[in-house]
Amino acid sequence: MRRLFRPARVQVTVSPSVVWPCQSVDVRANTAKPISDVISARIELGYYNFYRYRWAGRADAAATAATNAMWLTEDVGTTYGTDRDAKEWIGIFAAELPTPTSVFTEGSATFRLPSWAPASSSQIARWSCRLIVQRRGIDIDEATEFAVVVGPDDARADIGSLEQVTGSAAARLDIELPRVVFRAGETIEGAIVITPSRDLPAGDVRVKWQGQRDSHPRTRTPGFDEIVNGRSVQLEKHVTLREGRPVRLPFDTALPQDAAPTASAVNSSMRWFVSATMFYAGFASPGTESVRRPIAVVNAVG
Amino acid sequence: MANVPLMSISEPPAPERGLTRAERGRDISAAQAEAEAETSTGRRLLLSMSPRFVWSQAEGYPVVIKQFLQFCLILIYPAWVVGVLASAAIYYAVYSVLWVLFWPVRAWMKKNRPDDYAASQLK
Repeated sequence: MRRLFRPARVQVTVSPSVVWPCQSVDVRANTAKPISDVISARIELGYYNFYRYRWAGRADAAATAATNAMWLTEDVGTTYGTDRDAKEWIGIFAAELPTPTSVFTEGSATFRLPSWAPASSSQIARWSCRLIVQRRGIDIDEATEFAVVVGPDDARADIGSLEQVTGSAAARLDIELPRVVFRAGETIEGAIVITPSRDLPAGDVRVKWQGQRDSHPRTRTPGFDEIVNGRSVQLEKHVTLREGRPVRLPFDTALPQDAAPTASAVNSSMRWFVSATMFYAGFASPGTESVRRPIAVVNAVG
Repeated sequence: MANVPLMSISEPPAPERGLTRAERGRDISAAQAEAEAETSTGRRLLLSMSPRFVWSQAEGYPVVIKQFLQFCLILIYPAWVVGVLASAAIYYAVYSVLWVLFWPVRAWMKKNRPDDYAASQLK
């Protein structure tokens, strides 16, 4: 609607429109006709960071626990709606454009994207270049978006090791992967190795991928972590577990095509895992074993 | 044309990130933290009955909503006290029965597993 009544006075172009970390981007701003009464003009490069925060009440208050308990009995009192989606502009670079005659016609700047630049995704970051012209009249703020993609070489090496989520490790579960960096849409081929510490009831093993967005805003109270689970891949329903006889079960599971790449931004971060769960047969058997191994997901093509 | 050349090659440090829920610890008011720090159940229940504790449940809400909630908390305060007293009555009734019921087990532990017994008595 704004465009309909007031067309853009400045055209901001970014080249290339798809960038890798450590690559340079050229930003160019052109005006159809000169802008007068300019106090200052600058080009900012950064990203809108998406996260969730808790807007109301303390998360662990006694009254919150009481209302949650009431919710379980399908009664009134719920904290539904206390988490909200939000975005914040994180400026990485700013280049002041000299305007000695108080008139702005055109300007350009070149930036080199840092190696830690979080990849673009709807979950974490939307990169853009903004031209901000402060005037004695109406200010001008025009932006153009561009995409940051990451390849296998940009993934962090210290990605973490296998973590036990639940269970007592009566049988040790290990997830074997050919590598830790995968492309979105790629099929992960690996194997689950089960090492029983003693003779145990039969096991029921399944595998899935897991994406987790953690919100960690600088000032606001963070919202809950959001976990997306892939379809469970059933491996074996009755695995015989005998002491000293490890079992190896190969598996494959495909990551989603639109998987948000692994990224760490100011207010939120995206992590990916391969998760394996084993249930024991019988009533008085040990608790469910669940482990997950961190992986890195990248979105660069080719 | 105003042209700003390539920024210096040394890249800026990554901006500092915030803390997740897990890293921040429990999100509670000062009055509730005080009550939760008590090791004695009786004192904890007593502190959770204090108007300061009940009043602090409205913390963290935006202005106006917070004042409205505090008003509601004043209205329900008698019910809150009755609720805490009821839970205290249930707690002590059940606990005393279990305490008598498990007397032989404790006596056996005290005699044969003194270390485990001492650990179980710590709060």
